[in-house]
Amino acid sequence: MASGMQEKLYNPSLLSFFVYNPSFGPREGEEEKKILFYHPSDVEKNEKIRNVGLCEAIVQFTRTFCPTKPAKSLHTQKNRQFFFEAEDSFWIVMVHWCSCSVFLKPVDRFWSPEHSKHVFCKYSLIDTVYGAVLRQCYSMYKLFNGTFVRAMETGGVELLMQKLEKFFYRYLQTLHLQSCDLLDVFGGIAFFPLDKMTYLKIQSFVNRVEESLSLIKYTTFLYNDQLIWSGLEQDDMRILYKYLTTSLFPRHSEPELAGRDSPLRPEVAGNLLHYGRFLTGPANIKDPEAKFRFPRIFVNTKDSYEELHLIVYKAMSAAVCFMISASMELTREFCEQLDSLVGPQLTLLASDICEQYNVNRRISGPEKEPQFKFIYFNHMNLAEKSTIHMRKTASVSLTSVHPDLMKILGDINCDFARVDEDEEIIVKAMTDYWVVGKKSDQRELYVILNQKNANLIEVNEEVKRLCATQFNNIFFLD
Amino acid sequence: MAGDVHNKGVSWEVQQNGTLAPVDRLRNDRSESPTPGLVEGTEPGAGQESAMFVHAQSFEDLTADNEVPTETEPKGDSVLGESVEEEALCLAAEEKIQEDLHRSKEEDVCTEAWRSHRKHVFVLSEAGKPIYTRYGTEEALSSTMGVMMALVSVVEADKNIIRSIHADGYKVVFLRKTPLVLVGVSRTCQSDLELTRELQYIYYQIVSLLTLTQLNHIFQHKQNYDLRRLLAGSEHLTDNLLQMLDRDPGLLLSAVTCLPLASSTRDLVSSSLQAAKAKNLVFSILLAGDRLVTLVRKKDQYLHHMDLHLLFNLVGSSSSFREGEGWTPICLPKFNTAGFFHAHISYLEPASDLCLILVSTDREDFFNLSECKHRFLERLSRRSAYQALKEALKCPSYSVTQVGIPELRHFLYKSKSSGLYTSPELSLPYQSEEEQERLMGLYQYLHSRLHHPKRPLRSVYRCGETENLMAWVTSGFELYLCFSPLGTKALAVAAVNKLLRWIRKEEDRLFILSPLTY
Repeated sequence: MASGMQEKLYNPSLLSFFVYNPSFGPREGEEEKKILFYHPSDVEKNEKIRNVGLCEAIVQFTRTFCPTKPAKSLHTQKNRQFFFEAEDSFWIVMVHWCSCSVFLKPVDRFWSPEHSKHVFCKYSLIDTVYGAVLRQCYSMYKLFNGTFVRAMETGGVELLMQKLEKFFYRYLQTLHLQSCDLLDVFGGIAFFPLDKMTYLKIQSFVNRVEESLSLIKYTTFLYNDQLIWSGLEQDDMRILYKYLTTSLFPRHSEPELAGRDSPLRPEVAGNLLHYGRFLTGPANIKDPEAKFRFPRIFVNTKDSYEELHLIVYKAMSAAVCFMISASMELTREFCEQLDSLVGPQLTLLASDICEQYNVNRRISGPEKEPQFKFIYFNHMNLAEKSTIHMRKTASVSLTSVHPDLMKILGDINCDFARVDEDEEIIVKAMTDYWVVGKKSDQRELYVILNQKNANLIEVNEEVKRLCATQFNNIFFLD
Repeated sequence: MAGDVHNKGVSWEVQQNGTLAPVDRLRNDRSESPTPGLVEGTEPGAGQESAMFVHAQSFEDLTADNEVPTETEPKGDSVLGESVEEEALCLAAEEKIQEDLHRSKEEDVCTEAWRSHRKHVFVLSEAGKPIYTRYGTEEALSSTMGVMMALVSVVEADKNIIRSIHADGYKVVFLRKTPLVLVGVSRTCQSDLELTRELQYIYYQIVSLLTLTQLNHIFQHKQNYDLRRLLAGSEHLTDNLLQMLDRDPGLLLSAVTCLPLASSTRDLVSSSLQAAKAKNLVFSILLAGDRLVTLVRKKDQYLHHMDLHLLFNLVGSSSSFREGEGWTPICLPKFNTAGFFHAHISYLEPASDLCLILVSTDREDFFNLSECKHRFLERLSRRSAYQALKEALKCPSYSVTQVGIPELRHFLYKSKSSGLYTSPELSLPYQSEEEQERLMGLYQYLHSRLHHPKRPLRSVYRCGETENLMAWVTSGFELYLCFSPLGTKALAVAAVNKLLRWIRKEEDRLFILSPLTY
């Protein structure tokens, strides 16, 4: 794991991040009490107070023009600040520098050959992207810590401040702000395409496990970092999915890739019956010293407010999350029972899915390098699909197109958000790439075409073909 | 101080630098069907002799602040120039009456109606004193403006500059132009850059009444000065300018549109105007309503389109010029922010839309210019040109159906090298004020996408439920088209070519191809 210091260097654009509640220090001289968390912590007290004061003033000022919709961001010459009222009177603010030095990696010869160099770029941050990143910070906090108000009720301001400190100190270091883009705005979930038979197999597997281990409240099933089945509410699933795919899975991908004798896979060596293992909780359940503690998560915070143990169990490319009420104590016996029940079945299921997946791939024919790349998102089921993003890792999500083109996608997305009607926008960038955005009902599709000499009509034909092959049952405005 | 535009100030030099290479091209250079590869200066509408305006190569040029701060100390009278006060007063007299007609100032600033105006504009001094508000009274808003100034100062204390605040459905844009601060609150979808540009127009409008030298001088003397005392009665100029910004595509395009006129007639009018010259005359401008008939200028002196828009605004917002010959000092800030010009403004006939503006450097020039006008009229009437001109006034615009493209509802075409644009009259469904502003909003959207400061585009096509839009920018022209929602992409592509051919065919009538100088 990279040390905190190195990570900080990787995040040069984040100037500060703070949480405050204006009602906590209403009197003069008590302003410091408003501040619940401030990063970087070594900032001088008066400067913290001044910065928080400015945010309060901006928010208050905009209420003159719209009492219900106060400011969301402030642009200045040097930085940009994003405001989010996470809970009643609890504000989270994120401040970014407007420029910094970035290293752009050569990812794809065909798409971006000329940009593999260190550049000092004055970035034009897109508000919607960083507004979404800020909301995501809160959702992630809430997933592992519950709401601010609950913390206040349990242990007062002190507990809340402790929780904020503990969570954000580490979380902020893992943010990769330069690589945030349209996908962060959507916050979608990639679904694994599957035939009916295999899907039914998975469902019956989930039912059987829930039946045998009645403690299990919710189950989700993923393959290849893509979701197949989830018992959680959409909003909870969306943030859990984000955690699994960008944090937990990338941290645990190494053992499978490592050789059989590698010290990285001690527990697999001792278990020849199946490939199942716990990603959360004890590293090796055979270890007599093992502690059976699992991370806690909070779901349905709006109504039933449930606190759950999160058990993530993986066999090959299939991963299952089992969620159990936090009031239950998880014992060694339970984990062993789960391991022996789920391990062999999941191993079998994973190889079934893999086989099915390969058959499908063969049918669809060999993959040619297409003339286009696209992002699709459906607001109704949060389904997203991107051929622009190569892979998501803990460190960075790589895209295969130039950042400016990604920003044009962001611009088009902003245009769509402004009007609540079906639209299509086709633009030609100065680099002669064509970018097409389509919005139909709750669905959005963005296509980047690398046909520099094409005209509007040809581009339209190309996109029509793409829609016919990839989204043949969705109507898009022509 | 007297209108010392001959005073070789720094900004004077800047205005006439060498980028304005006259475009001398023979007529047969012009291709029948212009292609995007077209060289600037040969697109339809490009002038033949030389450019009329100070040339901005692109929209971005105009927003860049290339002014040099003027440090010129006013000579002699170190107290507030009496002349300014006096001049502002002469404007004030009549405007007081207009004010009651135009402004519904008494609006309560705490109501939902006040909040939901599409675009607010506030001007304040660096002491936080209110100078102007578009809606409501300055008094009622003094605390709000105080807060605005406080925000500006707090951010500046950090060696930073506040630019804008964004919220759902509206944004607040700040423009700091010492000694003034301008703030816009807009619910339109214009970009920050466009809103800032509009605030610049308002700033220059105020400078045009006072000169920057005076403005600086006033606040250096008394930081707390209530500028409304000097600007009293001129509010309707700002009100009117704001309305122009919402409706007139010329301000968006940084261009001016012309009265369609046979080139033979226009040439006669121009040459008559050219003949009626005087020693200190710098610009002679003939307007028909909000359209340019012709503009004759002193050799080597160029008028910036922004200054011309301010002149349009002055004429368009006062009815007093109809009653006789007007004589008013005006600073043309893009020309020189330090001094006044003096403008002789009169209508050719009381009931006519033809308005003549003669701009001189000499404040004692009234009778000379009055004489020029008579000579011009005499010359014009002696030829058949006057009759032809009056005839042309009957149809100051044209219908989009003349182009012969079905589904095409409206368009804007700007020739970049001449700084002139043409567009047909607004037809259904864009005739109501509301729809007109909505269409302008769409053009503003297209414009801001094409001219994005970081990610400019070559073309935009947008298909929506109410209309299909297309915008295209090349080195020679900018084109914005509005189609009915039934129009297809194939039709749009064909329409562009057909329209460009039509404009080429009509360019004699729609543009000023041979501008003259004295």
